[in-house]
Amino acid sequence: MKNKLFVLFSVVVCALVLLSACGPAATTAPVAPPAPTEEQVPVLLPTAVPPTAAPTETPPCLIIGATYGGPITDAGYNQAMHEAVVAIKNNIDCVKIIEAENVPDEAGATSTMENMISQGAKMIIATAFNHQYPALELSKTHPDVIFEHAGGWEMSANFANFFGNPPDGWYLMGVAAGKMTTTNKIGFVAAFPLAWTLVFINAFELGVQSVNPDAQTFVAYTFAWGDAAKDADTTNSLINQGADVISMHVDSPATIISTAESRGVYSIGFQNLAAQQFAPQYWISGTGFTLGGKLTWLASTVIDGTWQPIFLRCGMADGCMAIAPFGPKVPQDVQDLVMQKKAEIEAGTLVVFTGPVVDQDGKVRVPAGEVLSADAMSSVDWFVKGVVGSPK
Amino acid sequence: MTLLSILGVLSSAIFSGTSLLYTTLGEVIDERAGIVNLGLEGVLLVSASSGFAVTYLSGNPYLGILVSILAGGLMNMILGYLVITRKANQLASGLALMFFGFGLSALIGKSFVGDKIHSLTRFLLPGLKNLPLLYTSLFKFDILIYLVIPVAILVWWLLYRTRWGLGVRAVGENADTAFASGRNPHLIRYQALFVGGMLVGLGAAHLSIAYTMNWTEYMTAGRGFIAVALVIFSKWHPLRAIVGALVFSGAVAFQLLLQSSGVKVSPFLLDTIPYILTLVVLIAWGGNRKHSAPASLGRVYQGSE
Amino acid sequence: MSQPTETVTHFPVFQYKAIQSTVRYLLMILFALLMFGLILLISGKDPIQSYKDIFTSTLGSSYGFSEVIVAMIPMLITALAVALPSRVGLINVGGEGQLYIGAAFATFGALTFSNLPGWFLLPLMVLLGMLGGALWAFIPGYLKSIGLVNETITTLLLNSVAPKIIGFLIFGFWHSPMDTVKTANFVAAAKLPSFFGTRIHLGLIFGLILLIIFWLVMKYTRWGLEMRAIGSNPQAAKRNGLPLSKYLVVIMCIGGAIAGLAGMVQVSGFYGTLFLNFSMSLGFMGFMICWLAGGEPLGIILMSFVVAVITTGGNLLQLTRDLPYAVINILLAFTLFIVLARPSFFKGKTP
Repeated sequence: MKNKLFVLFSVVVCALVLLSACGPAATTAPVAPPAPTEEQVPVLLPTAVPPTAAPTETPPCLIIGATYGGPITDAGYNQAMHEAVVAIKNNIDCVKIIEAENVPDEAGATSTMENMISQGAKMIIATAFNHQYPALELSKTHPDVIFEHAGGWEMSANFANFFGNPPDGWYLMGVAAGKMTTTNKIGFVAAFPLAWTLVFINAFELGVQSVNPDAQTFVAYTFAWGDAAKDADTTNSLINQGADVISMHVDSPATIISTAESRGVYSIGFQNLAAQQFAPQYWISGTGFTLGGKLTWLASTVIDGTWQPIFLRCGMADGCMAIAPFGPKVPQDVQDLVMQKKAEIEAGTLVVFTGPVVDQDGKVRVPAGEVLSADAMSSVDWFVKGVVGSPK
Repeated sequence: MTLLSILGVLSSAIFSGTSLLYTTLGEVIDERAGIVNLGLEGVLLVSASSGFAVTYLSGNPYLGILVSILAGGLMNMILGYLVITRKANQLASGLALMFFGFGLSALIGKSFVGDKIHSLTRFLLPGLKNLPLLYTSLFKFDILIYLVIPVAILVWWLLYRTRWGLGVRAVGENADTAFASGRNPHLIRYQALFVGGMLVGLGAAHLSIAYTMNWTEYMTAGRGFIAVALVIFSKWHPLRAIVGALVFSGAVAFQLLLQSSGVKVSPFLLDTIPYILTLVVLIAWGGNRKHSAPASLGRVYQGSE
Repeated sequence: MSQPTETVTHFPVFQYKAIQSTVRYLLMILFALLMFGLILLISGKDPIQSYKDIFTSTLGSSYGFSEVIVAMIPMLITALAVALPSRVGLINVGGEGQLYIGAAFATFGALTFSNLPGWFLLPLMVLLGMLGGALWAFIPGYLKSIGLVNETITTLLLNSVAPKIIGFLIFGFWHSPMDTVKTANFVAAAKLPSFFGTRIHLGLIFGLILLIIFWLVMKYTRWGLEMRAIGSNPQAAKRNGLPLSKYLVVIMCIGGAIAGLAGMVQVSGFYGTLFLNFSMSLGFMGFMICWLAGGEPLGIILMSFVVAVITTGGNLLQLTRDLPYAVINILLAFTLFIVLARPSFFKGKTP
């Protein structure tokens, strides 16, 4: 008898729970999109407040959804992107931001972005590299939503692309590393042999060679964006081979820099300037994204309806990339040299990938008098001479 | 292959293999009592995240290590409850524990990602200070690394030289016989799980507090499963587990060396070397595995009911 | 209360048993929801709102529901990849690896034969996917059949090797011109068609058909009987003349083939390309679903649905409740714990 009562009770509770699902269903249906001819972005009033968001008193002028591939406190790429997104809110007070971190795969990205749109987002900022195609697909079914992707190349009527210009910063870091190394061996910890990663390493080594032609960069892969143990293994391995400067392209540089610091080896950070705290002594410098200003500008164009899809690449001169403060062991003359080269890049007198650029096997990849274009960078699958390691 | 690079591989292997060895030792005890724990990933993650969190909050890594150890023991208690008291299938329970660990560790660790902690100091064994600087930087280890071999010997002593260890092995061989000779298989298994769990927690502590000094979700990346493989590799013997952990970590360090020395083999394929090596050794020397496994490993003890 | 299954085969009794099972499963889910609600409370989140989020985003809209079905498709197949070998006592935790290799083989077909028409290319890819998965399962199966190494360990180790091979293939040979992380997008002929403007694709039909075949084979054919005999007492079966080793290898390979099909279905029907680490523990989820379902096809469908609801619903939780997505694993784990702990009023068939 007791069993039967329990069963009845549970069935009733289950039914109630399921009923709660039916209730708000009507309100999460998407608003019929306006005719997609003009670039007009309607001032957004969520027509039905989703039952889970606290109703705001004055409706936000724009709801922005941002997706990240990893944690926003990683002192790395995700944190840099997060800070840039938050800057929008700091600059434009009426904006509302919805963030989703740790969205690593494409399936999750699609449903996350879809959920954001159903919560009223009219601008989606997809910061993870592999969110590009999910965002592109969604841009087709949601022509009234603006999509901005970081680091990709696709473009459409409501889909565009933005990124900093890391190779310039990497070149400068290479100059610093080339000057600071005494063993002429520099270690680079990379997650995957992505085209971007190879480009960064190439720019880095070119910078190294410009001040120290004998120095080489040794590359090893962890095959994960955030496998801390592998990061430590790889860092130690490179140091054991004699590298006395370490740099990286993974999501969070924390472990790598901490490990280098514990071995008394110089480190150069990437992605976020906050990484310096992990290496109080042996930090050289770092280059990171400071895209807050640019993203604020993009958001403002969405709000006032002037948004245009542009392939946005901005560098140091525009404030999108920054050089971290130098560490205590960096001599003044090195600092001056780096800043001088920085000025040359900003002025346009020094272009990083100016030919001739030769790869590891001796093949000329960028002929003399030419420059590697931004498009070509996304399909690089080779290393410059002076890099030791496999590009695939 | 210079002496330096060989020593370098050894040093990397020791650094990276310590947490693996602690975990393997813990699992050796559990499997000796007859229980397979496929949820080691989850146990490692929960221990690592809680240890890291406490280290950050208190500023004291030793406190964090203690919490890690405790967390490991407690996580194993969940497995114990399911497998011993509720007599559930061990593999399924282990995997459930793994999923639980994924979620719980993410919850615990969320606010601590990317935080900087005071880690354990690394020092040289006295007497080695006279070596050239190039070599000494390879062998500055933290206290947990120095302790791992003594702990392995302790585990050996526990299993083979104490009454308790005898009971654990008896239960692992045949729980009914053990019961008949006056032992309480349920209690012994719980104890074995707790002790084993503590060792796993110690391994997790080394991973997050001492080695990587970091916490991210899923940071163990399969080490729990490697430990299960290494237990078999070492034929359930704690001293041979040392060799197993060294071989695996050494292979990882070696393939990293190959990668960055310009070997023209895809780094992806090089990365498979440690696993394939383990597999090959298992096949080649696993022939009499059947005779060295605890006989009732994986089987549910029905008890006297 | 539970009837012995051998004596009654009438349809009405089957129906009653099915309802009983369903109620039992629902009860377990409810209990797990309660426990998870407790965890939410402790973390300072509102459990009622959280559950509302989960259910509205999955069951409360047609889009959400379609997403649940989409998530369910590979789980159905990987669960079956575990269920079949379990009938002969094999433990296949290698679904992850078999899935990846199956996907790799299918991708090879998609990229190499992209000029072929869909009605030829897709079945070819299905075969390739199954071949890949079967190959990956062959080694563990063979080693087990000659009594050398336990298949649990070999499948686990091979799980770690498979994604690296995928990486080698993508970065080394197959990467698209613009993007080194993934292959070129599959041509339309290589993609499984989807229905009703949602992302539900033909893989659903594959999964359901396979489950039906599995049910029929186990219940009505000689092989099914033999497999059950081997599963319950391998030594006796061997003594009775059943070719034990052959069965072990063949069944393991078929299990692998099924998992390989899951891989093909994902890259062809869902993603339309191959990239690293696309399986988010699909193999292990399949293992858990199979155990939750007691290896029964109907249970597999139901539990896949439940797990899919949980994993899909977790997406919204992250946005609205500020919980890391991984927390949804706790709910999953609680569901598993409840089933494994088998509290007394859930008495039924033991997995």
